[in-house]
Amino acid sequence: MKLNIDGLLVYFPYDYIYPEQYSYMLELKRTLDAKGHGVLEMPSGTGKTISLLSLIVAYQKAFPLEVTKLIYCSRTVPEIEKVVEELRKLMEFYCKQTGESNNFLALALSSRKNLCIHPEIMHANIVVYSYHYLLDPKIADLVSKELAKKSVVVFDEAHNIDNVCIDSMSVNITRRTLDRCQNNVDTLQNTISKIKETDAAKLKEEYRRLVEGLKEANVARETDVYLANPVLPDEILQEAVPGTIRTAEHFVGFLRRFMEYLKSRLRVHHVVQESTPQFLKDIFEKVCIDRKPLRFCAERLQSLLRTLEIADIADFSAVTLIANFATLVSTYSQGFTIIIEPFEDRTPTIANPVLHFSCMDPSIAIKPVFQRFQSVVITSGTLSPLDIYPRILDFRPVTMASFTMTLARTCLCPLIVGRGNDQVALSSKFETREDFAVIRNYGNLLLEMSAIVPDGIVAFFTSYMYMENIVASWYEQGILENIQRNKLIFIETPDAAETSMALEKYQEACENGRGAILLSVARGKVSEGIDFVHHFGRAVIMFGVPYVYTQSRILKARLEYLRDHFQIRENDFLTFDAMRHAAQCVGRAIRGKTDYGLMIFADKRYARADKRGKLPRWIQEHISDGSLNLTVDEAIQLSKHFLRQMAQPFRQEDQLGLSLLTLEQLESEEVLQKIAKIAHQT
Amino acid sequence: MASLSEEVLLVVKKVRQRKQDGTLYLMAERIAWGPEGKDRFTVSHLYADIRCQKISPDGKAKIQLQLILHTGESTTFHFSNESSALKDRDAAKELLQQLLPKFKKKANKELEEKNRMLQEDPVLFQLYKDLVVSQVISADEFWANRLGDMNNSDPTPYNNKQDVGISGAFLADIRPQTDGCNGLRYNLTADIIESIFRTYPAVKQKYGENVPHNLTEKEFWTRFFQSHYFHRDRINTGTQDIFSECAKQDEKGLKSMVVQGVKNPLVDLLSLEDKTLDEGYGVSTTTPSTSNANRTVKESSNAAIIKRFNHHKVPFFFSSETSSTDGNSRDSDFFQPPVKKVRLQEAIEYEDLQRENRLKTVALNLKKSDRYAHGPVPLQSQHYTTSQDIINSVNHIRHEMVNYKPNLTQVLSSTAASSAITALSPGGVLMMTGTQQAINQMIPTEVQGELKHLYAAAGELLRHFWSCFPVNSPFLEEKVMKMKTNLERFQMTKLCPFQEKIQRQYLSTNLTGHLEEMLQTAYSKFHVWQTRRMLRKT
Repeated sequence: MKLNIDGLLVYFPYDYIYPEQYSYMLELKRTLDAKGHGVLEMPSGTGKTISLLSLIVAYQKAFPLEVTKLIYCSRTVPEIEKVVEELRKLMEFYCKQTGESNNFLALALSSRKNLCIHPEIMHANIVVYSYHYLLDPKIADLVSKELAKKSVVVFDEAHNIDNVCIDSMSVNITRRTLDRCQNNVDTLQNTISKIKETDAAKLKEEYRRLVEGLKEANVARETDVYLANPVLPDEILQEAVPGTIRTAEHFVGFLRRFMEYLKSRLRVHHVVQESTPQFLKDIFEKVCIDRKPLRFCAERLQSLLRTLEIADIADFSAVTLIANFATLVSTYSQGFTIIIEPFEDRTPTIANPVLHFSCMDPSIAIKPVFQRFQSVVITSGTLSPLDIYPRILDFRPVTMASFTMTLARTCLCPLIVGRGNDQVALSSKFETREDFAVIRNYGNLLLEMSAIVPDGIVAFFTSYMYMENIVASWYEQGILENIQRNKLIFIETPDAAETSMALEKYQEACENGRGAILLSVARGKVSEGIDFVHHFGRAVIMFGVPYVYTQSRILKARLEYLRDHFQIRENDFLTFDAMRHAAQCVGRAIRGKTDYGLMIFADKRYARADKRGKLPRWIQEHISDGSLNLTVDEAIQLSKHFLRQMAQPFRQEDQLGLSLLTLEQLESEEVLQKIAKIAHQT
Repeated sequence: MASLSEEVLLVVKKVRQRKQDGTLYLMAERIAWGPEGKDRFTVSHLYADIRCQKISPDGKAKIQLQLILHTGESTTFHFSNESSALKDRDAAKELLQQLLPKFKKKANKELEEKNRMLQEDPVLFQLYKDLVVSQVISADEFWANRLGDMNNSDPTPYNNKQDVGISGAFLADIRPQTDGCNGLRYNLTADIIESIFRTYPAVKQKYGENVPHNLTEKEFWTRFFQSHYFHRDRINTGTQDIFSECAKQDEKGLKSMVVQGVKNPLVDLLSLEDKTLDEGYGVSTTTPSTSNANRTVKESSNAAIIKRFNHHKVPFFFSSETSSTDGNSRDSDFFQPPVKKVRLQEAIEYEDLQRENRLKTVALNLKKSDRYAHGPVPLQSQHYTTSQDIINSVNHIRHEMVNYKPNLTQVLSSTAASSAITALSPGGVLMMTGTQQAINQMIPTEVQGELKHLYAAAGELLRHFWSCFPVNSPFLEEKVMKMKTNLERFQMTKLCPFQEKIQRQYLSTNLTGHLEEMLQTAYSKFHVWQTRRMLRKT
């Protein structure tokens, strides 16, 4: 159908539309009009992607000078492929409606294999790729730096975007890294001396270029051609490469010294934590390395590798890592911390020293994106609470909205099970983690669910360790065997290949009617990337609140940083983080309005307002006061009732006018008023 | 009574039954027991009737063997020969163990089949009651034709039996029981053993290798249930465990399967992420080192349990290879990209946003599509009228119609016409004589039902009768004679009483006319055949 979104003609490749899609497009248009950034939360399965694509493509067609490009970033390969598929559908619809052949160029980058697309990216109207291509400075520099300023950037499934940012800026150095780096440096040395004999002019030419400085890059940035690289700060662009590392041999010597210093640092026997200025002071005192040459390290190494015409850069990943670390550590005095651990906490007898250089401020990596592009939209099914994202990513959005799911029948049933049938409080909190009563009651819950829920059940635990312990205890108590009377059991393991196979078998068991249970882990690969549509997931059980492992020093440092710089209390952040993962897990089961599923939160702490309030609005609004602290039996009764209702036939007519609109209905005043209530502005 | 023609496989003396001494005989088809000093059996069971045997546990004072029949009854034999009681009992047990399954399968299959047919087909059941229970024909006769029929005419749905997967709970079902003196007892049935073999093919292989030359069956299972392999959470006891190899084999199988990877790209976690960070980048999440050295004993036993769950059902819980639901899964190996595309399209489809929810139809599979397009071709096509003929005749009729003039003087008056119509309408004077609706109103339903049964029974008998013609073998001759007597008996015992009954109730007597007619036809056919046979013989 053809829609009128606030004066913009939008081609929408379906005959009907969900009211929230209309509302979503309105908000999106407002964001684009204002040339600002937006944060939009809409439940999965309500056609978020197609709404985004329809509106932005229409916008591009209507105002080709205002918006020249859409950069669509998603997280996983299947997600990216789905986007491309939806785009194809939209384009076909355009062709059919307008009769014109498609003059839109869309491009999907989904693997490193087909990375060489430089010129094409410049001309494509739509680029679809993974976050890393834009956020990771190492890749962004190759792929994305020439993207036009007047682009709209969309981060879909963005609930974890802060972690992606942090990951892309953090470095870990082990003894192995240094050993490999040593080899790299040796190879460099040899190559240099060889070239010197054969082609000394080449090295001289490089030297001349370095004296000129990084003028090119500077000109480019000033003229606004490139996306800024956070590893290459502004100041160094104005300067020439310092003399100490200008010749190739000197630079290699410099690297050796730096490496030796790092080796000495790894020889510690106790944990060391320090800030970047402390580290720089120490390195100056010990080996007389100045801050300035360190800052040029990454750039200087690139130049050297180019000059030496080394084809396979992958072999030099270790030395590149060290050089990147040098540049980062000397560039940022804030937002990073250095932690040196001589051994793993769990195995204090085995020496395995690691230097963690961790980024604590996600805004560093994403800052260039917000600065450069006129509109950046962050969207996902679970972004609650909305206001935290602008804070931790340090940007000012023009629109922030959360959309509910309009439903003709309540197809999701969130229940909070707080007690066992013996009134024992259920919780995964540390004190009761080993408590047999809790473990038994959890087992009982799963057992009873396995008897009443058809087809697939997915259960999430807070961590692998916790899951292993519980599974072992259930096994000893014979609970698992009883569950197997009802359904087959599959368990996620840290091995991705093995888990993939378990997943496939799980789906097979659901398909052929045998029914299955998948035991999985929040924050694991399954919880992040696999959907359990329809019969693949009729119930999701979340055992416990998936808090992150709080004893890690890196996390502690990050929490402190958040408190000091963003005024976010530690507990608030931890709860927010736990709840977004819980929401991700339970959201896996509902993938549309024709789908249905139970969402069981098995921990009494979910009943508290500070936890519950951080769930997405579309889940929260279905938690009634009566379902806050249920026993296992009560939950079973409610579930039975729910499943029986859901098993009734559900037709399109049931939805029409309520959660599904025709074009005519969309034009009526009454409906428009209703739609206005869907978006919840914050 | 003890017919000596039977082959006696084993004789065990000094066996008590109901506190009476006697001798136990195991014969080719039955087991029997006779009290001492008498030459007849007081107990005799066909093997086919025996559901299972049970033996008393070792160490019990009384050495006994119990037979449980399908009917639920049981017989217990007590081996009382002091010196060799245990040996005797085991000999009997071993032999029974070999014999019972043979008979069991045969008997069960047939019985089950018959039972199923009777349950599924109420008409057949009624027929069975009318003919067999009332002893018009014997059960064997009744089934002889039926079963043969079933096997020949429509074999596909039965022969092509669906494989049954293994119950997920079979492990839970072999819970051991304590035997009272600090030991455990496992009750194994043939089904459980079959399940174990299917679940752990490695165990089956071991069984083949070791039983009976290295270990007795009992020892084998004892070791199995004690093994680390079975329990997984127990610590590996060392090299003398014959099952330690099995675990390794399983591991290998699992690995090879993992290497093969998954078919559905949407569940492939390996290709989920577009870019994993290079080594050394990212917040290290302190991945627990997986090397076994670092793991505590408890942790590795936990991992073993998890592995067991993911693994042991992988190939076997789904019955055989045909388990996949979409028949295309085989093809998917060859057409990988389309599968992926289909999956993606499924994933992005919003069925409720589309206007027509077109029913998903099944493609018609035609072997000869031209036949479908043309339909049956008439043999004599020359009788067909040409299109010119058709046009001509249409023109002709049209011409006639144009010139048609009603001859109004010869028409009925309107009153007469309407009265004729009423008379001819249902319920009208002229329609009264029609018996069509009368028969189900006049006759009580109970009689109707009885009549129906009579028809069914007669039809069945007649079918048997007519199927004998042409009579070209001695067997058929015998059968046709028998069927004739059956028919006569039917007429005497069933039809005549029914006739008398309806006469008593003053119902129209010609209800059974047609039945009698059918029987008469059969009789006359029989007579013709018989006279002809006599002629031929003389």
